[in-house]
Amino acid sequence: MNEMTLPVPCADYEYDLVELVDGALAPERARAVRVHLAACPRCRAWQQEFATLDARLAATLPRPTLSDSFDQRLQERLASLSRRAPATDSKAVADRDYSRIMEAIRRGARRHAVLDALASVAVMACLLIAAGRWLAPLGGAMSALEGPARWITLGVLGSAVAAAALAWSAHRGALPLAGGFR
Amino acid sequence: MDAGIEQYLAEGRHALAFELVVPAYRDRVFRLAYSMLRERAAAEDATQETLVRVWKALPGFDGRAALGTWIYAITRNTCLMELRRRRPTVSLDDPDSAEAQRASASVATGPAADPERENLLRLVDRLPANQQEAVRLFYLEDRSYETVAERLDMPLGTVKNLLHRARKRLMELARPDEVKAA
Repeated sequence: MNEMTLPVPCADYEYDLVELVDGALAPERARAVRVHLAACPRCRAWQQEFATLDARLAATLPRPTLSDSFDQRLQERLASLSRRAPATDSKAVADRDYSRIMEAIRRGARRHAVLDALASVAVMACLLIAAGRWLAPLGGAMSALEGPARWITLGVLGSAVAAAALAWSAHRGALPLAGGFR
Repeated sequence: MDAGIEQYLAEGRHALAFELVVPAYRDRVFRLAYSMLRERAAAEDATQETLVRVWKALPGFDGRAALGTWIYAITRNTCLMELRRRRPTVSLDDPDSAEAQRASASVATGPAADPERENLLRLVDRLPANQQEAVRLFYLEDRSYETVAERLDMPLGTVKNLLHRARKRLMELARPDEVKAA
């Protein structure tokens, strides 16, 4: 065999020879490979050369470790980041809480406004029915009004009722008027 | 250890979880970073940067990947960013590039009086980047295929192939030099 050239192992055993050196071969396969090695000088030579390289690599490649001060420097950096973080987080949390509260107030105010409006209409309807019976004797007076005069009179009475209902709701603070939530 | 960390995460106790992450992972992260960056100081900086990123992202960790897989992915990304920052236009897989040839000068080596050791380290530097990384990590992690596969997030078969090609190439590269020396 020419010593200048690398010996070539049997193709079926090349990977097994590597794993045998690495100690990664299953026991049954390892036994079979060793039997082959005993009978094959090419594979023996190649495996020996590989084992030599493997040992040199294990002995030569650097195996550095972390410096003793690593943990301390890491903690200092994290402490610095933690000192910067709380102010930002607190402001963000406060802003979110404020927005949630204001939205809840607006939703509640809208609910109250709707309920109050419905209550106003119901009250006015009851008053009108009662007034209708009470004012029945005055029906004759109304019938005396004809044409535009009747409609103007009815319109004024209706506007007065609506204005009274709105004024009552505004007084209760239920309407979303400008500046109403200061 | 990971079970304890994940328990704390599930309870929302991220600070306690991180206190367990640091001792469990800092050395593994450092070895992975060193296998990629090949400089002790740079690997230590990358380790610190990785742990800071883990600290920030831990509250959002959803457990879809294993904790170790997630941390090693952050490590690789951190190191790749550092490699891009150093060498933005050079292919990392070209062993004949000028940068690859100069890269051998950046390796922390032992005493200059050991030419055989220096020669082997130079040969390792001539390997493609992915093979170099696998070889360095393999010997840093006490020659465990499974550990290398986990750190690099590669199938076991791929790691074995990568290591086999790398070491076979080193055998071929080493032989002519031995003959020349003789």
